[in-house]
Amino acid sequence: MKQLQKILLTVGFGIFSVSSLQADMVSEAAALDVAKVCDVKANGLDAVLATAAKYNAEAKKLGVEFKRLGVTNSNYIKGTTEAAKAKQKDVVLKYKKKGKEKSLKLSTDYAAWRACSFAIRALQQKSEAESTWRLAIPGDGFKY
Amino acid sequence: MLLKIAKISLLIALGTVASNAADFNAQAEKDRKALVGYMEAKFVDADKNRASYFPYSTDDELKNNFPKKIKHETFALGSYAYNSRGKSQYDDIKEMPPYEDAIDEGEELYGKKFANGKSFKECFPKTDIAGDYPMFDDKSNKVVTLTAAINDCLVANGEKKWKEKKGKMPKLQAYFSNISKEAGKKVDIKISSKAAAAAYEHGKKEYYAQRGYLKLSCATCHVQGAGQRVRAEYMSPLLGQTTHFPVFRLKWNSLGTLERRMAGCNKDQGENPHKTNSVWMKDLLYFMAYMSNGMALDGPDIRK
Repeated sequence: MKQLQKILLTVGFGIFSVSSLQADMVSEAAALDVAKVCDVKANGLDAVLATAAKYNAEAKKLGVEFKRLGVTNSNYIKGTTEAAKAKQKDVVLKYKKKGKEKSLKLSTDYAAWRACSFAIRALQQKSEAESTWRLAIPGDGFKY
Repeated sequence: MLLKIAKISLLIALGTVASNAADFNAQAEKDRKALVGYMEAKFVDADKNRASYFPYSTDDELKNNFPKKIKHETFALGSYAYNSRGKSQYDDIKEMPPYEDAIDEGEELYGKKFANGKSFKECFPKTDIAGDYPMFDDKSNKVVTLTAAINDCLVANGEKKWKEKKGKMPKLQAYFSNISKEAGKKVDIKISSKAAAAAYEHGKKEYYAQRGYLKLSCATCHVQGAGQRVRAEYMSPLLGQTTHFPVFRLKWNSLGTLERRMAGCNKDQGENPHKTNSVWMKDLLYFMAYMSNGMALDGPDIRK
């Protein structure tokens, strides 16, 4: 019986911790200034990519990861990190569209900026949506 | 005396349970009626409502393309409810609809024996069921879409799951939809428990929350944006959005499920699309289908 109580407490605490961590990460992202945090010149390429990876992992978990023209933000981060390691000025991102292989060429700095801003903005939007979603509902927050 | 007290207590308890059961869909009913009111008010006279709803529309389309006084049931036509010119092209295609073979193939799939000798008939003894899905299963505490129910049936009979967007799946659904349409069935989504109401609320929140790098909610296009034009196409209304699936889209040149369309829409918002069998997708479809409650089923259908 005591063992069962222990297991239940551990599971409960685990669930509580995970959800609090998620909420923490969203509110942490909500307080960030994207223009400053994702500035490659000011922070360096590696730091911006690390920021992108940190927040995008959370965006992915919450199901709000961005995807632009067939390229997920995970692919932006992966491709740009590889290009940064190889010290390439440009990054070529490969993706599939309607079963066909396609590619997108961007400067490495710009791709890092985009990956970082996409990762943070996804979480910021998640946070903003908590107070805005009802404003669009007829019969609720939406007046016409 | 004791027996009398017991009887009265039982009646009170039953009454409480019954009234609570009726309450589970109270918010959803309120939302649905408000949506019907909004759509009817918006499309009562598009030309007169230009300042409020259609600032970018041209004089020509407001005067000549939008019919007046569009009523609730008509929204089952999607954007063709308010696009007279598009509707005449739609009517032309409907004379020889490209999905007719799919209905026949769906009927064959329905009767085809599995390796164990059983068939879909055991899982779906009734075929006019398109309006009953998505439904909330109180045993598993989750929303079950028609797509999920078909795949559950296959797995239970030792068969492989079908793809959820195209192929055999929409063909069998086209058969169910056609039978439901011919039987005069209407969308009949039920919310009869606290968990079902929570799934509905989750779906509603996801429908109205802005998402993706374009920061669009589903409602941006299909509630506030319904009737607005994106290039040459009018955006369809949430009201009646699920009544006509599966659809043969000219863009796809094939039949597709509602999940296929939703994944496309989700991608267009600039978000990595959610899986077609995810809780997110199922709850969203549950909310959308409830909004069309009481409307006639008219699938399968064609769309651009």
